[in-house]
Amino acid sequence: MAILEVKNLKKSFDDTEVIRDISFTMDEGETLTIIGSSGSGKTTLLRCLNFLERPDSGVIRVKDEVLFDSDITGTVSEKDIRNRRLHFGLVFQSFNLFPQYTALENVTLAPLLLAKENTGIDLPAIEENARGLLDDMGLSDRMGNYPHELSGGQQQRVAIARALALHPDILCFDEPTSALDPELTGEVLRVIKDLAGHNMTMIIVTHEMSFAHDVSDKILFMDKGVIAEEGTPEEVIDNPQNDRTIQFLANYKNGM
Amino acid sequence: MALTVTLTLLEGFLQTIRLFILTLLFALPLGLVISFGSMAKAQAVRVPIRFMIWVIRGTPLMLQLLVIYYGPGIIMKSNVWGSGDTGRFIAALVAFVINYSCYFSEIYRGGIQSIPVGQYEAGQVLGMTKHQIFFKVVLLQVIKRIVPPISNEIITLVKDTSLARVIAVYEIIWKGQSFIKSAGIIWPLFYTGVFYLLFSGLLTLLFGFVEKKLSYFR
Repeated sequence: MAILEVKNLKKSFDDTEVIRDISFTMDEGETLTIIGSSGSGKTTLLRCLNFLERPDSGVIRVKDEVLFDSDITGTVSEKDIRNRRLHFGLVFQSFNLFPQYTALENVTLAPLLLAKENTGIDLPAIEENARGLLDDMGLSDRMGNYPHELSGGQQQRVAIARALALHPDILCFDEPTSALDPELTGEVLRVIKDLAGHNMTMIIVTHEMSFAHDVSDKILFMDKGVIAEEGTPEEVIDNPQNDRTIQFLANYKNGM
Repeated sequence: MALTVTLTLLEGFLQTIRLFILTLLFALPLGLVISFGSMAKAQAVRVPIRFMIWVIRGTPLMLQLLVIYYGPGIIMKSNVWGSGDTGRFIAALVAFVINYSCYFSEIYRGGIQSIPVGQYEAGQVLGMTKHQIFFKVVLLQVIKRIVPPISNEIITLVKDTSLARVIAVYEIIWKGQSFIKSAGIIWPLFYTGVFYLLFSGLLTLLFGFVEKKLSYFR
């Protein structure tokens, strides 16, 4: 059963059509990777899924619940948007940790605020869960440190733990290693690979081709706001059919 | 003589401090309201607020004191400020609050707009409300950034209070100067400088402490 269904999604900024007509589905436990050159609409697509941008038209459905449908008009309350948005988690390129909180507090802040609104949630369990997540990220000795005391790779791993703490159905990554030194990239990719091994449902926008090849169940190649090619890593990366995909991957190999 | 002078100057200094503290008490929060107005999406709010900030920052505080004190009497033919020392003090306070809240509002606006948009977006994708994002994520970062410019402005306020003498609010310099006429001595005037120095020194220490308290994060 598809956990996510995106149908005919469109988004323009002023006169520029960034996402032209995108439809795809993904299954629970799948890792979907989106590749493509800058400006192809990858990041905007993720931002639409996370309600940071409002699509102009289309439908987004998670577990058969309609999260967004441009044909249904009427205002949606802020509370509803928040509840819908919690189906997704997002890890940013620039981490965006909260600088005044420790690693542990970064992870517990949002769950504690949510718990305040719903009674019957076990507060110590939130901290225990956060400690467990940071432990899984290999940060058990960094929980009390502030973001500026951590390396970029450590910060990004805290950000991943922070997103996981809210138990999203689908975790999105927006170029999670693009702001990192090459030697720190590996530690973040390892963590993501680990999550894939535990059947976390993930959508990853990345420029790391060999990583995409290793970790993905499915790859979308985006070009000028449309999905130009999709398939398994073997199909899209090893045996591309579309001219644009071939050209993009060739540029990639030349750059290496 | 030295004792008389000290006591007289202390009396004037009390007036200076009163004006200083009351100005801060009203202008610090009012400045936040004005800064939200100056960032409002609605032009009908933003444009007049920005215009007011431009007028207030673009004209001397001395002129504003005179206009606010004498203006209502000339236009409405009535003294809205009440009579005597209290009336003049209230007029001075109103002028200072308007002037300083405009300056503070620009500092707040700079602080708020310097917070990266990623901080708001991170809060949003974590399901936080606008209110929670402002108070739990953004506010402390804004405070950290505005402490240096605000402390600069506050130390300027200590000295600006002396302008209130233009509408005969008997602050410390007025008192010091009075000895020139009454006793033919000028040193009490210089002595007033010691009060300002000590007080601004105290404030400098205080703000240094606050900055240090907030240095645990970047």
